Amino acid sequence: MDAVPAIRVVDLRKSFGALEVLRGVSFDVPRGSVVSMIGASGSGKSTLLRCINRLETPSAGEVYIDGEPMGGRLSDISRMRRDLGMVFQQFNLWPHMTVIGNVIEAPIRVRGMRRKEALALAEECLARVHLSEKGKEYPARLSGGQMQRVAIARALAMQPKAMLFDEPTSSLDPELTDEVLTVMRELASDGTTMIVVTHEMAFAREASDRVLFLHNGQIEEEGLPDQVFGAPRSERCRQFLSKKLQ
Amino acid sequence: MSDALIDALNPALFWEYRLVLLRGLAFNAYVFFAAAAVALLIGLAAALLRVNRARPFRWVGTLHVEVFRNAPDYIMIVWVHFVLPLLLGKLIGQRVEFSPFVSAVIALGFVYSGYFAETFRAGIQSIPQGHLDAARACGMGETTILVRIILPQVVRRMLPEAVNQFVSLFKATTIVSLIAVPDLMYQVSMVTQQEMRPLPLYTWAALTYFVVIYLVAGSLRRLSEHWRQKIYA
Repeated sequence: MDAVPAIRVVDLRKSFGALEVLRGVSFDVPRGSVVSMIGASGSGKSTLLRCINRLETPSAGEVYIDGEPMGGRLSDISRMRRDLGMVFQQFNLWPHMTVIGNVIEAPIRVRGMRRKEALALAEECLARVHLSEKGKEYPARLSGGQMQRVAIARALAMQPKAMLFDEPTSSLDPELTDEVLTVMRELASDGTTMIVVTHEMAFAREASDRVLFLHNGQIEEEGLPDQVFGAPRSERCRQFLSKKLQ
Repeated sequence: MSDALIDALNPALFWEYRLVLLRGLAFNAYVFFAAAAVALLIGLAAALLRVNRARPFRWVGTLHVEVFRNAPDYIMIVWVHFVLPLLLGKLIGQRVEFSPFVSAVIALGFVYSGYFAETFRAGIQSIPQGHLDAARACGMGETTILVRIILPQVVRRMLPEAVNQFVSLFKATTIVSLIAVPDLMYQVSMVTQQEMRPLPLYTWAALTYFVVIYLVAGSLRRLSEHWRQKIYA
């Protein structure tokens, strides 16, 4: 058994002014595993994810990436962020760069990779999201599902130790969510370490190794997918799921 | 038509002095390019101060914008040429003098830096936070983000407004003859003193300015539209 988890979160807390969004959250993400986070809007899922790579500064608690504590100076944080690929609800592609440009930007500027190497890597990453033919397009000419897959390729190009997905299909039309979920399932079965904040219950149930149900900034229920979805112990989780699965 | 009007529209005199006048127009262009460079650099610096997290920096940026945007360029040119050297001379204890060209560039550059600062600031603030989040999440540092993610988008967004400001700046270069920068207007007044026929000269100088500005601004607009379309399709 691998002793050091890819990501370890210990008693993480976050307040915005008087509002306590996270009230002490702890969990491990073992290497190669997929953890899905579910819960109502406002339960703190996205904030938790953004605290892991320090897009938000936690009020208290620790995050460890491969055993190393996240934090310290901005340069240390930037260095550790390289190892955490992030995919956003709004895609956040850089519109002034082509698809290839988006994918090679960070490997060249942050990892110091040579352009030629970065291009080869980008080809590979775009192939993994089934968009090899779109390299020269600008994001404005892509569909939402294609943009999100480019965003996934961009994160993969940093060859991260783990991927963080922040509601990756929530701003997509229903007919476009499948193409993104398919890519994510493939990543999961390739052994990519992933934390997925999602409202896609079917995905959470099939593709994850563990499921966390967040409520009011705390982990209300946690377990194997079949256990959380099949026999939730908490009343709130049961209510949430019955609404979601109607 | 009256004789005076016919004379005012007659291009012969303007054509006769075309080489001198063209040299003057070239000076307008020199002043324009140098002042534009100053305005862009100082304007960007002021804009970065205005969006800085630390409040004192924001105050300095705001002060800069308010002072220079509200200073008439005519008065700034005179002040920079005649008063600023005295002030600087007092400070460093040495006689300071600016050439007319340098004074004109400093004055117009600073006045227009106030406008460009606001254009830059609006552009910077229009970049969605998510673009920056994505860059930070990849481990990019703040300088890389500014140079690679923010500025290229700001330049594209501000181009239409920037073209308008460039036009204003070019028109403003016509008052630099005030401190004897040998621009087109200066040469026109020189020729006038010899020939005593100002009206045709001013008519054709006005037409020359119009044609130059119209053609250059028009092609700049077309170029920038073409460049922007790829992104904002």
